[in-house]
Amino acid sequence: MDTTAKTAYLTKEDAVPVQPKLLAHPTAKTGLMSWLTTVDHKRIGFLYGVFALFFFLVGGVEALLIRAQLMYPNGTVLTAQMYNTMFTMHGTTMIFLAVMPLSAAFFNYIMPLQIGARDVAFPRLNAFSLWTFVAGAIVLNIGWVGPIFGVDGHNAPDAGWYGYSPLTSKQFTPGHSVDYWVMGLQLLGVASIAASLNFIVTIINMRAPGMTMMRLPVFTWMTLVTAFLIVLSFPAITIALVELMMDRNFGTVFFEVSGGGMPILWQHLFWVFGHPEVYILILPAMGIISEILPTFSRKPLFGYPIVVFSGACIGFLGFAVWSHHMFTTGMGTVATAAFALATMAIAVPTGVKIFNWIGTMWGGRLMMRTPMMFALGFVWMFMIGGFSGVMHSAAPADTQQNDSYFVIAHFHYVLIGGSIFALLAGIHYWFPLMFGRKVSEFWGKLSFWIIFVGFNVTFFPMHFLGLNGMPRRTFTYDPNLGWNTANYIASIGAFVLGLGIAVYFAVMIYTYYKGEKVGRDPWDGRTLEWSIPNPPPEYNFRVIPTVHARDAFWYEKNNREQIAAERAVAEKAEADHGGIHMPFSSIWPFVASCGLLIVGIGSTAFEAKWDVPGIHWKLGLSLLGGLVTLVGIYFWSLEGNEGYHLHLDKDGKPVKGHEQDHGHGKH
Amino acid sequence: MRLVPSFLVRAGQLLVAGASLLLLSGCDFNFWRMDGHQSTMIAEGPVARSQLNLFYVTCWVTLVIFILVGGVLAYTMWRFRARTEADERAEPPPQSHGNPLVEIGLIGASVLALVIIAVPTLTAIWYTYDVPEAEKKNAYEVTATGYQWWFKFEYPAEQAAVDAAGTKTPLVTGNELVIPAGRPVRINVRTVDVIHSFWVPKLGGKIDMIPNRANFFWLQADKPGYFWGQCAEYCGDSHAVMRFRVIALDEKDFAAWKEKQLGLARSVAAPATAVAAAAPVAALRAFKVNEVGVSEAFDRNPLEAWRAKQAVEKEENPALIAQGRELFAAKTCNACHSVRGHGAMGVQGPDLTHFGARTTVGAGLIENNPEQLRRWIRDPESVKPGNKMAKAYRDNKITLSDAEQVALTAYLLSLK
Repeated sequence: MDTTAKTAYLTKEDAVPVQPKLLAHPTAKTGLMSWLTTVDHKRIGFLYGVFALFFFLVGGVEALLIRAQLMYPNGTVLTAQMYNTMFTMHGTTMIFLAVMPLSAAFFNYIMPLQIGARDVAFPRLNAFSLWTFVAGAIVLNIGWVGPIFGVDGHNAPDAGWYGYSPLTSKQFTPGHSVDYWVMGLQLLGVASIAASLNFIVTIINMRAPGMTMMRLPVFTWMTLVTAFLIVLSFPAITIALVELMMDRNFGTVFFEVSGGGMPILWQHLFWVFGHPEVYILILPAMGIISEILPTFSRKPLFGYPIVVFSGACIGFLGFAVWSHHMFTTGMGTVATAAFALATMAIAVPTGVKIFNWIGTMWGGRLMMRTPMMFALGFVWMFMIGGFSGVMHSAAPADTQQNDSYFVIAHFHYVLIGGSIFALLAGIHYWFPLMFGRKVSEFWGKLSFWIIFVGFNVTFFPMHFLGLNGMPRRTFTYDPNLGWNTANYIASIGAFVLGLGIAVYFAVMIYTYYKGEKVGRDPWDGRTLEWSIPNPPPEYNFRVIPTVHARDAFWYEKNNREQIAAERAVAEKAEADHGGIHMPFSSIWPFVASCGLLIVGIGSTAFEAKWDVPGIHWKLGLSLLGGLVTLVGIYFWSLEGNEGYHLHLDKDGKPVKGHEQDHGHGKH
Repeated sequence: MRLVPSFLVRAGQLLVAGASLLLLSGCDFNFWRMDGHQSTMIAEGPVARSQLNLFYVTCWVTLVIFILVGGVLAYTMWRFRARTEADERAEPPPQSHGNPLVEIGLIGASVLALVIIAVPTLTAIWYTYDVPEAEKKNAYEVTATGYQWWFKFEYPAEQAAVDAAGTKTPLVTGNELVIPAGRPVRINVRTVDVIHSFWVPKLGGKIDMIPNRANFFWLQADKPGYFWGQCAEYCGDSHAVMRFRVIALDEKDFAAWKEKQLGLARSVAAPATAVAAAAPVAALRAFKVNEVGVSEAFDRNPLEAWRAKQAVEKEENPALIAQGRELFAAKTCNACHSVRGHGAMGVQGPDLTHFGARTTVGAGLIENNPEQLRRWIRDPESVKPGNKMAKAYRDNKITLSDAEQVALTAYLLSLK
């Protein structure tokens, strides 16, 4: 969708070749069909956000059940098996179905706006990523039919979010739970890699004129780094999952001890993915913070090149520290020392970011609005999580902390105090842009304080629990170990945190319908997304902006005449090219993803043995699903990458009659 | 602009304060002392001490940095905040972009701080890896093997009697590891099924038991003591209740214990004349799910409790014990458990040759007394979900009447 391509556009008068009905482009602008066929990065981003927040609540309920079980010693809220399911699904859900897609929501919605693009590079691939993510989420959660509807042999995954072999083997987990987990993660991997490739191509190729790499907003930079991390790290887990699937279904022995397999191999493959994954969760958050702090300090980011470089540096080092999750696996002295030192090294670029955030605020005018509150909460909480992280890098001390509640405290400070706080800040920050309404300061700050207090009351005592020897993933504990009070306080805190999240969402939903309307650029923003009306029109930018400085919109606001003159020239040039080029909607990415869903369910929910009837279902559904995916991809390619042109009146509304101008420009 | 009247705010504050008082009353606020049985903050041996000292280094370094950075951050937030709306709308501050000297200085300072942590880390990695060269000769070796969900301890250097003919086998015990105090103990860790992890916090950090991997580590207890341990790697349904104990004894006590362990199981002579049928046995009370099976009395002096357990039970009933011994074979307990000298040679479950001298049942889970032991053999599934003994009961349709439970309990407790 390159709007500056020098291709001759067909005009309306030209004969439009008759399309076969099957290939007619969907035209729905509202209703269910419009959502299933949308290729608009903003609508896709919104859907990512909605699904992510739904699963955030699901994961939250799972967490509350865990805390209810542990509130008192020898708790009886959950059975052992159900508790194990809860912590497995809580981890998997929060990482893959809440934080990652919520970050993806911002990548989708905000990143193209920040670089002055009208959409991502491959709009239909973007839709495919979204729906494949949904398919993966369904497969991952389909095992709940077991406990909820009493279907034998079907359980939600219960072998830990990290699925250590050989516990995941058919011998030790004979039901279907691990199969759902394997296939669910595989589909999520497909979705993540497709989306990441899309973002990389978009950021490299679709920047507005003048938007050099070193003028990119930091959030876009972190999107780019994160996308590279996903593309490079997911293959490791994909391979591991394929091997596990083969072990479980086809009798291979990658991890099967009796056949000479090596369970330790799983750990290496998993953490080669798993540690970069940690940065996949935190780098977008750092990007959001690096947008919010300058805006609300009314100053540019302190040391932009160093912040960008340290982000990339964290990304690189993230691939060199995976074995610090394995300090207790007997790696020997040299390997342990190497991974300990590499882990310490990663504290430097991370610390640099914190210094620069403080530097950004120093000498500024801090507007203590709700997004800023969450952002400052992030800096404080992330600092605490970072310091306990440094403690873990001291390998011998870590052998005491590993798999104890100290680790739970550490990574919740990083993932809630870090990632979630930043994402909640981002929702507040960009809400006026997305929906043209603003959350009330009182309710926003109230939800912040409840969340902040609840979070600390929940997780700070866990440091003490861990140091006092409480291992994680335990469904019960005896009252004579000194863990009662800290667990009780943590559970109370968890319910307060839950209340805070409930208030947060209630306020968001209220604001969506009834909130105070705001005009363009309510925060006095610095980056291009604030230069467009809210909610943003489908074409984003009436005229593709020309960028002159790092804080592009801040520059525009201070050089209005120069910008206005440039705009006039650019608008005329674009009109001469035939107007604003928009991609057609398409149902085929959705169809392709539906096929993957059928494969996902078919290949996991039935037995792989020849002497049981299930094998016909397994084979049949897998083939059917594969066929549906192929059909989707086939028509997706047949319908071509065409689009239509929009012509705008002076209010930015598309002129009637031109809206569905089926131009056949080959771009 | 206030959206909520101030009296409402005050009422809310009162409510929260009152509620927290109610919720927190009766709580023991000493948890910050971290002095539990499994505390990592109390080192009772050189390995744990080395790890704890390193922890303190990391703790102090990060605390100092936190106070410095946090102090600057707090000052920045206070000093530069907009105090009024007019302040917010004022002319923006100078649009400065950074200061390379400050950046480089801070990076240098961070690297220095990390060096302070790195040096003792490296020292401790090499120290905790294996028994120091000078003490290798003095080291005592045992092998710990993880099973779903219990631990087997093997003493490769000790040959135990299997039968009266003098056949020997390495000494094997279950769930309670007895070691000599003041001597380095080198522990080989193995597993027969999934990954487990061996962790006795007061003596040392954990080491994973991984299939196809010959891991080892070492620890040493400064002085005689009774230590709590637990599996630290999620290993399936009953991971939380896979626990164990370590008992460190001085040289003399250890030798005495070993002497006794090497012998055959204790046999109690059955009474010569048949006894009249005993009075009907009352059913054991019901237990709640996950009900506590340990007593405070035991915790007060666990080592003494362990010593007391070495002596013969006070009110033994030889007739009952004989009946229990027969049941042990009749109910096929011997298919999985060994009792050396009593003809039981099973290897899938813990060795029970001197079971009566142990302080716990079900892998360090509940106390080894008549009530708790009966609770375990009556319905192992309710104590430890998913365990193999419960599965064997189901597969082989094994049921135990109240009288049989009592007889088996008496027999097992007689195995001193």
